[in-house]
Amino acid sequence: MVESGKQGDDALERQRFLSLFLRSEREIFRYVAALVPNASDAEDIVQQTAIALWEKFDSYDSTRPFTPWACRFALNKARQWTERRKRWQALLENGLAEEIVARREELKPQLERRLSRLEGCLEKLPEDKRSLVEGYYYKRQTIEALAEASGRTVEATYKALQRVRQSLQMCIEGANRTEGAT
Amino acid sequence: MKLAFPSPEFDDAVASVCHGEADEALCRALNELLRNDASALDEYILRTELHSRLGSDEDLFVPANQLASEETESEELRFRERGDLDSDASPKRQLWWAWGVVAALLALAALGVWQSGIREQAPVSQVGSQAVAMLDRTVRARWADAEKHPVAGDPLEPGWLTLESGLAQIVFYKGARLIVEGPAEINLLAPNHVSVRKGKITADIPSQSSGFRIDGPHASVDAAVANVGFEAEGSGTAVHVFSGQAAVRPGNASAEESVESGIGILVTETGDVQRIQPDGSAFASLYDFHAESSAALALRRDNWEVMGERLNQEESLLVRLDFEQASPSRWELPNLSQSSSVAEKASVIGCQWGRGRWPGKQAIEFQNVNDRVRLDVPGEYDSLTLSAWVRVQGLDRELNSLFMSDGFVEESIHWLLRDDGVLGMTVVGDQPGDYQIVASPPVVELNDIGRWIHLAVVIDGRSRRVSHFVNGQEVDREALMIEPPYRVGPSELGNWSARGFPEDDPFMIRNFSGSMDEFCLFSRALAPEEIEKLYQEGRPDLDLLAFRR
Repeated sequence: MVESGKQGDDALERQRFLSLFLRSEREIFRYVAALVPNASDAEDIVQQTAIALWEKFDSYDSTRPFTPWACRFALNKARQWTERRKRWQALLENGLAEEIVARREELKPQLERRLSRLEGCLEKLPEDKRSLVEGYYYKRQTIEALAEASGRTVEATYKALQRVRQSLQMCIEGANRTEGAT
Repeated sequence: MKLAFPSPEFDDAVASVCHGEADEALCRALNELLRNDASALDEYILRTELHSRLGSDEDLFVPANQLASEETESEELRFRERGDLDSDASPKRQLWWAWGVVAALLALAALGVWQSGIREQAPVSQVGSQAVAMLDRTVRARWADAEKHPVAGDPLEPGWLTLESGLAQIVFYKGARLIVEGPAEINLLAPNHVSVRKGKITADIPSQSSGFRIDGPHASVDAAVANVGFEAEGSGTAVHVFSGQAAVRPGNASAEESVESGIGILVTETGDVQRIQPDGSAFASLYDFHAESSAALALRRDNWEVMGERLNQEESLLVRLDFEQASPSRWELPNLSQSSSVAEKASVIGCQWGRGRWPGKQAIEFQNVNDRVRLDVPGEYDSLTLSAWVRVQGLDRELNSLFMSDGFVEESIHWLLRDDGVLGMTVVGDQPGDYQIVASPPVVELNDIGRWIHLAVVIDGRSRRVSHFVNGQEVDREALMIEPPYRVGPSELGNWSARGFPEDDPFMIRNFSGSMDEFCLFSRALAPEEIEKLYQEGRPDLDLLAFRR
């Protein structure tokens, strides 16, 4: 049985934080991934962001939306993280990070419109392509494992992923067919 | 190096950034291009967004059928049974890493929930974070929705609860405690607010709560520190203030009336307000609640003991520990199995004693890095089943041991919980470096922290598969590539002896953080129904009805 005596203010505060954070988690991840697209690196940054958010949670104004507040921290954390990693720093230097963040915000409605078709486009993929995407993005298999499973080289597997993304992109940008997309 | 847009080189550059493969020169060239070409920047943003969406929106993927005997890739499972700590080689985590990390960070208090069954698609991030209260106990509760009703320990999200009969105690997250007697229809609105269409309720509102409000059909009541009875039916709404004081507001009136201890108010359906004597006897059944629930608990426990005796006779039972120590100073636990000659006893190292599933039931608590229960189970087996009642306090380690054979001995087993709530069963083969990890989807969730849950795993050497179970439900089944026999050997509950692996490697530290109050090991593959039975017989929730089912 759960002992209810443990539910002090502190626990409630943690619960409140967690529920806010977990609701915004994907958004924060995507924001970070716009800067550092490699998923495992982006996740590291989101983790560090989570820690910082919790530490500063008492300064969060609950009348305002959580995600933008969190994303400000995420931007800082991404900056700190790239400072120690030369290639990522080279990618984002000279103000490009800020530019990406700002431009992405402007493009958001457009991105949402296109990406709303993603699920339908995924369903249309041939089986082997779909399982490649699913393996890499959903099951988070390593590229080596995917290569081994398909009998391709690692290089060719990267290439295949790139091509699947391209065809998905063509599909989501496709003519405005009404697909009864939900 | 210079990049043009559009160009195949640009396509490759974006892809390699997404895959984390781009080198510094390429990143520099891309930076140059994106800062100077607005259309390249837009294209880049779209592509990275598509990539990150694929990686973060599980709903896009209908989970593959777990029953397909896919080839199991230890790589895929990212379990890193022997991983080095080089970050580039470290496994990727799934996006639902977050709660594991955060929960560990914050050492979450128990505000538990059990979402039974498998939730492959819903990431942990969507679990029950809206809850406003917890169903603490029930006695003879019959819910309107016989299929999908809450059980003791469940968090309650805002919405209607319809209790046909019986009693239910609800603890609100802001501190108030309500005992509801059916027939009742109540709508949970907030951690300190409920509305009642009909029913009889006592509300205990302690000083550390931030007040509580009950809205009824003809009157509402607000109280800061009080014990009130509230009864709503067609003809009117009665408020009895047994202690403290409450503000009662009839119907649509704007004026509220302050009601002192020892006073009652009845607001009729026509809006008349009458003073009445508070009638404790009307709520007597609610005061019997504690007595009733204690009796129900005692019965539950008795039942479990009877079942336990029967279980001890089971032929295939190799080990059964129930952690019922006569005295905490004895650091040996008897193996209760009557039929097994192996593992006569287990030794407790470190550990604390704590509360088990029921009052008076003991549990062993693993808190420190060295806490463990050691046992030795010699022999070779064609199949094995492990079952344990545990209460997870936090998933502090990447791998948290439930029960692990020492080291990486040929044909031995490791049963563990990963920090993202994934259950893992590693079966080591007879060749060096040969092992298979069967990982469930993330099934132990944020809201399970602090609750008693039943975990089981079946290693079936005959049909060559491994199945994981949570609370009696099969949550994962996969083909097993490693042939029998399987061994257990010297092993530990709640920890792991790496035996020859670098002890200072943080990855080798696998101590469990939480409690265990029963453990069974069988030398055969139990059927799903048998696992379900183990769960039903040991369920900690109180409801007599649940227990009769």
